[in-house]
Amino acid sequence: MDSLVGFVGKNYVLMAGDTNAGRSIMRLKEDFDKLVPVDSHKILAKSGEIGDGNQFCNLIIRNVSLYRINNETELSTKSVAHYTRRQLATAIRKNPYSVNLLLGGYDKKDQKGSLYYLDYLGSSKKINYGAQGYAALFVGSILDRFWKEDLDFEDGLELMKKCLREVEKRLIIGTRCFLIKMINSDGIAVVEKVMINSKKKNEIEEEN
Amino acid sequence: MFTLGSVLDNDFKSTIEDFSFETEFSTNQLMLPNIEKPFEFAQSIIGLEKDLQENENQLMFHQQKKEERKERALIKGYKGTTTLAFIYEKGTVVAVDSRATSGQYIASQSVQKVVPVNEYMLGTLAGGAADCQFFLAHLGRICNLYELRNNEKISVAAASKLLNNILYSYRNYGLSVGSMICGYDTRGPQLYYIDSDGSRLKNSLFSVGSGSPFAYGVLDAGYRWDLSKEEALDLGRRAICAATFKDSYSGGTVKVYHIDENGWVKISDDDASELWYRYEEKEKKKK
Repeated sequence: MDSLVGFVGKNYVLMAGDTNAGRSIMRLKEDFDKLVPVDSHKILAKSGEIGDGNQFCNLIIRNVSLYRINNETELSTKSVAHYTRRQLATAIRKNPYSVNLLLGGYDKKDQKGSLYYLDYLGSSKKINYGAQGYAALFVGSILDRFWKEDLDFEDGLELMKKCLREVEKRLIIGTRCFLIKMINSDGIAVVEKVMINSKKKNEIEEEN
Repeated sequence: MFTLGSVLDNDFKSTIEDFSFETEFSTNQLMLPNIEKPFEFAQSIIGLEKDLQENENQLMFHQQKKEERKERALIKGYKGTTTLAFIYEKGTVVAVDSRATSGQYIASQSVQKVVPVNEYMLGTLAGGAADCQFFLAHLGRICNLYELRNNEKISVAAASKLLNNILYSYRNYGLSVGSMICGYDTRGPQLYYIDSDGSRLKNSLFSVGSGSPFAYGVLDAGYRWDLSKEEALDLGRRAICAATFKDSYSGGTVKVYHIDENGWVKISDDDASELWYRYEEKEKKKK
């Protein structure tokens, strides 16, 4: 039931996730942040079971920190993706983590953002745009149609809101609150906390 | 294999004391039944409905059909209860019912669903009574040891994280715990929801159990951060009362607790059905 969307733009990565946390039909928390920072320039967006998501993401974050402390160097997004994938893959036949992830990061070395799609089965793929959860069904085609290489930030944000509007409109399970984060050379920034109501005239209200 | 006695002994003999929480539960040595394949055994006997639905998709090597597993399930976990807790300006309010059911029968109308962890923290019980009682009592022991070793009161966040890690290590073994850790510490009133599948959520109000949708209705309608103490206690009491009215698995008595900087206090203990008719009388008198 989680919705995560992400894509790469011109020197930034934009990621959004819904802010619902719940059990079966009940929403337990409306301001749950699913986009956790791995370090200053990477975000792991988690979806799936809450407990597995928390524990697995903590595992990755702490190990990346340990690497930084031991070796005095930051890991690249590619390395973190590979490490995460390996943890998922070795766990799948013993003690599987039911988490699907989107890893977005900005590498100062390459001056580029990158996005990785990671699955609970241990699959990993570098993508330009993608989504996890039910959002993937609706948002995939929008991104296929409108995503271009090197989108400006304003255009990117418009595209993201287009995607989230579609998710709110078509997904029968009510997800109207989303959190949008951006990673660029300055680090991670929360762009907006939006609440979408497709029936209202002023569709998107910014929440503070 | 470990017995309960040896678990407690090892706690006291532990040498990595001061800043860690090394207990039998936080290492890889879990307490498991004395049989060949404990994990498979646990999987075969649990019949939790939610596991059957969720794990169907997730665990690709458990190919058994839903009905088969349901039939073979010896342990059925029903969270037949209503517990709620919320934080507000002046503290934390915890309200619970006291009914325990086994299938169609009411086993008891006077169950203690609130377990004190220490003087300023309470844990609530939902799901398997034995599981909740044991792990909350164990949490109380760990918190006590922390205070003795570190000469400071443990925070609610830390206590809930400890319980969360323990329960996460027993993830697929069929435990049924839906507990809320409620307390008041240096950060103010705090409330965490801890689950046997490893979730830990922080929020300003929660309700757990079969009667929770009903309690949420009343709670969400009346909740504000700036409630007065009387209003807050009344809100908690009314929400549980509403849940006991609608949900057959909840009932007995409605117990309300309040936690502030001076610790927790039991405020009231009223029979649920009497309470309902008392509220009705009040409404009639108003008209």
